[in-house]
Amino acid sequence: MNRAFTLRRARFVMLCLLPGVAFVAVFTYYPMIRGAVIAFQRYNLFDVTATPFAGLENFRAVLAEERFWTALRNTGTWVALSLFFQFFLGFGLALLLRRHFPGRALYQAWVFFPWAMSGFLIGLLWRWMFNGQFGVVNDLLLKAGLIDERIGFLATPGWAMTSVIVANIWYGVTFFAIMITAALQSVPGELYEAAAVDGASRTRRFWHVTLPHIRPTLALIVLLRVIWILNFPDLIYSMTGGGPAGGTDIITTFLIQQVIGGDYGRAGAVGLLVLGLLLSFSVFYLNATRFERAR
Amino acid sequence: MRKPVLTALPAVAAVATLVLASCGSGGQPGSGEVRLRMIESLTGPERTKLIKSLIADFERANPGVTVELVSPPLDSADQKITQILQTKKGLDVLEVRDHTAKSFSNNGWLAELPTTDWPGWSDLTELARKKAVEVGGKPYLIPYGFYQRTLFYRTDFGMAGPPATWQELYESGRRMTSGDRFGYSFRGGKGGADYAVMMISAYNGEALNPEKSFYLKDKRTIFSTPEAAQALDLFVKIFKDASPPDSVSWGYPEMVQGFTSGVTGMLIQDPEVIKTVEESGVTAWATAPIPKGPTGYAYQPVGYAGWGVTSFSEHQKQAVALVRFLSEAKQSIAFAKGNSLIPISTRAQDDPQFSQGAWKAYLQAQQDPKQVITIRPVDYPGWSQFLVDSDRDVQALITGKKTTAEVLAAWDAFWADQAKKVS
Amino acid sequence: MRRVAALAATAAKAVVLAAWLLVTLFPLYWIVVTSLKPKPEIFSVPLRYWPASPTLEHYAELFSFADFGTYLLNSLVVSLVAAAVVTVVGALGGYTLARFAFPGRGALVLAFLVTQMIPLFIALGPLYLLMSDLGLLNRLAGLMVVYVAMLVPFATIIMRGFYERVPVALEEAAQVDGASRLVAMVRVVIPVMLPGIAATFVFAFVQCWNELFLAITFIDSEDSKTVPVAMNSFITQYDIDWGSMAAATVVSVVPTLVLFAVIRRFIVEGLTAGAVKG
Repeated sequence: MNRAFTLRRARFVMLCLLPGVAFVAVFTYYPMIRGAVIAFQRYNLFDVTATPFAGLENFRAVLAEERFWTALRNTGTWVALSLFFQFFLGFGLALLLRRHFPGRALYQAWVFFPWAMSGFLIGLLWRWMFNGQFGVVNDLLLKAGLIDERIGFLATPGWAMTSVIVANIWYGVTFFAIMITAALQSVPGELYEAAAVDGASRTRRFWHVTLPHIRPTLALIVLLRVIWILNFPDLIYSMTGGGPAGGTDIITTFLIQQVIGGDYGRAGAVGLLVLGLLLSFSVFYLNATRFERAR
Repeated sequence: MRKPVLTALPAVAAVATLVLASCGSGGQPGSGEVRLRMIESLTGPERTKLIKSLIADFERANPGVTVELVSPPLDSADQKITQILQTKKGLDVLEVRDHTAKSFSNNGWLAELPTTDWPGWSDLTELARKKAVEVGGKPYLIPYGFYQRTLFYRTDFGMAGPPATWQELYESGRRMTSGDRFGYSFRGGKGGADYAVMMISAYNGEALNPEKSFYLKDKRTIFSTPEAAQALDLFVKIFKDASPPDSVSWGYPEMVQGFTSGVTGMLIQDPEVIKTVEESGVTAWATAPIPKGPTGYAYQPVGYAGWGVTSFSEHQKQAVALVRFLSEAKQSIAFAKGNSLIPISTRAQDDPQFSQGAWKAYLQAQQDPKQVITIRPVDYPGWSQFLVDSDRDVQALITGKKTTAEVLAAWDAFWADQAKKVS
Repeated sequence: MRRVAALAATAAKAVVLAAWLLVTLFPLYWIVVTSLKPKPEIFSVPLRYWPASPTLEHYAELFSFADFGTYLLNSLVVSLVAAAVVTVVGALGGYTLARFAFPGRGALVLAFLVTQMIPLFIALGPLYLLMSDLGLLNRLAGLMVVYVAMLVPFATIIMRGFYERVPVALEEAAQVDGASRLVAMVRVVIPVMLPGIAATFVFAFVQCWNELFLAITFIDSEDSKTVPVAMNSFITQYDIDWGSMAAATVVSVVPTLVLFAVIRRFIVEGLTAGAVKG
């Protein structure tokens, strides 16, 4: 197709893009920019009659807080462990689901179920299951003889982080399974046939045919997932509220606490720091995986 | 042919939402009818029902006025109220709490309530009238009741009587703790720091300034003394030796549930719990005033909340009428009874409910000169930040991530700094 | 020997799949069981894995105490309309991004991606004031508008991936026959894209259906509450009512499960396509 940029085309492009751009500009960018400006103001709900420009004061205050750094470390653990298990379990599941077997359709339907729930509900569900007194997880572990007495999962710093990550893995495996299933189906059959003719073993075929072919897809979904897991306070918020003692605070739950504390200036500063972090991570990541070139 | 289709399709998307916008919710009230919007903060299902029934009475007495009650979930209610107030529209009557009063009035969101032409004003107790004008010197709200903590204890868990001091509470609690049973409903989650402050205050004894209860009479903070360290050490011991490990994250519901389900033997809470415990099926229990420190003093603030009118209400007259209606003897006593609050009406003194059974502990505390009512520095700019920060410090403390010395140093520094900002 | 090995592999695969199914479904099972237990039984040790005296009291309570039917309807209306608008808007935007090289295209994609990186919470305050000025607070339409804005970037980008899979020749053939670009798009491209469109729609629907933070910010009137807002209200000061909470969870998950069942085939196909070129 001739892709010259004629006036007629320009009008078509503009008309098609207009609704999307308008929605995003008015209801996302405008408030975000306003929110970003607040990061440079002294803006506390305690007194909004005076909101003077404060330069980098909010950023300095946030960076001086020990809790910010704790939250940052926790964010690392939260993202890395969640991602690691979601990815490999999802990948495994997708490989097992690749070939047809009787009842596969039904199996897929059921196993994708967590995806239908909200992070908030999943948090509540697991909070109930991890309950120290009446939780079913404790009961099962006791019955299995793995523990001798009930564990206050959400009440003990180390366990709390493990618990929220377990819940997140349960939730996220599905996403990877769907995406990777899709990617696997896109590998052209001829490639395998050719490899089979060459006498390549199954393992070899996986490493030399399948993986290179789906690598760009994997790279992209991992990036999307990192962003989403990091910006996903719902589950932690309804499970532990960031506690105990900030043990499960990630940077976004820390942000929510700033908002509840009424200091919108600092909240804005945290938000911008998150953005900076994700942007630099994305740039670094895209360079490292050569995503664009692979496409 | 080409052009119309071209323009039509993209426009559909935008138009669809706009059309929906115009036929969305909420029909306009008919002419001449006044529609008030009212929001509550300490939401609970039973309480909401009660408020709705009082509103229905108001509507019957005032034809042409309807009231829409908004009941946001407790967790984020004050934040929601603040958000609505910021837009300066769509709200007429609101629940103002002791720790939101200052910020709401600072921002000019509250209307001064006229009291001179209102006979109900003189029916209010002295405390109620004092609290009504506590912030900003003007009546920005009429309290609907008071909260004061009291000790609930099981009489069938082997205690001879209620503990009179925190040390005794610790010891009885430790004795009670074995297996699935624990001594004390510890609050390690949201609001936990309040209990630490309660103990620290008691240990500081006479030196404390009740008018600004985070400071001593000599202007130092209550967190700077060796007594504060003693108190906080005992606080940690109560958690470690006499409370369920889970309580590290307990807030209000878990504490109460712990007590009513028989997991814990002691609980320090507000009077509305009386009702919850009565309905729970637990029979062997009693109440007592909160424990004291070594010098025989106990301090606690009297919590309150009330109804106020927004400064931007388009129906000031009707809004004020609603607040007055809710604050009059009959309604306010019904509300206090329904929620087990200390009532605001002088006429409640004749009511037997407020002097019998579990309520006796309150009378006892009122008559004891060493059970002192304090005023917390809720009007300092750092107050709401401290609420968030201190709870997390308490969790860090009881999980061993911070020492008592570190926590006290942080709190001392925070409030010494606040003192500078205010003066 | 080889057949034995193959059989063993199949058996191992079956065991792993069964184990994972168990892990996935157990929480669902547990929430259903909890919702059927009378209150005292929920808080009793030892735990029962099937209620001793199953009851529907929590469900009855749900529909009597709270106006749950209204919330369900609100959620349904908001999610369906918003998802439909998102799908149309995304389809239009994705098409242009896939088919035209125009100045600023890269910047636009980047701008869309950035919206996914900024925490929602810093925009909430200003967005609230904006919604108030536009008179969109406490209205389902307001919620639809913000949901559309929230989901358009993702929908557009994923749709672009779908279009890129559709051979340009298909369209050109139609255009040669005299159809306009848009008509060609509707007649030829859309049918090929159906799985992708279905996937986008379902994705958007699920997001809207489950969305909590925006909904609790912009809705507080009883008659405009959505299901997540109502469920959030169940966490009250007095008592976390696990029975009602469990019942509400079960009820609120049903519509998405039904939707999944109906168009599951499309979703997997569609997401596959989107993932490849997304």
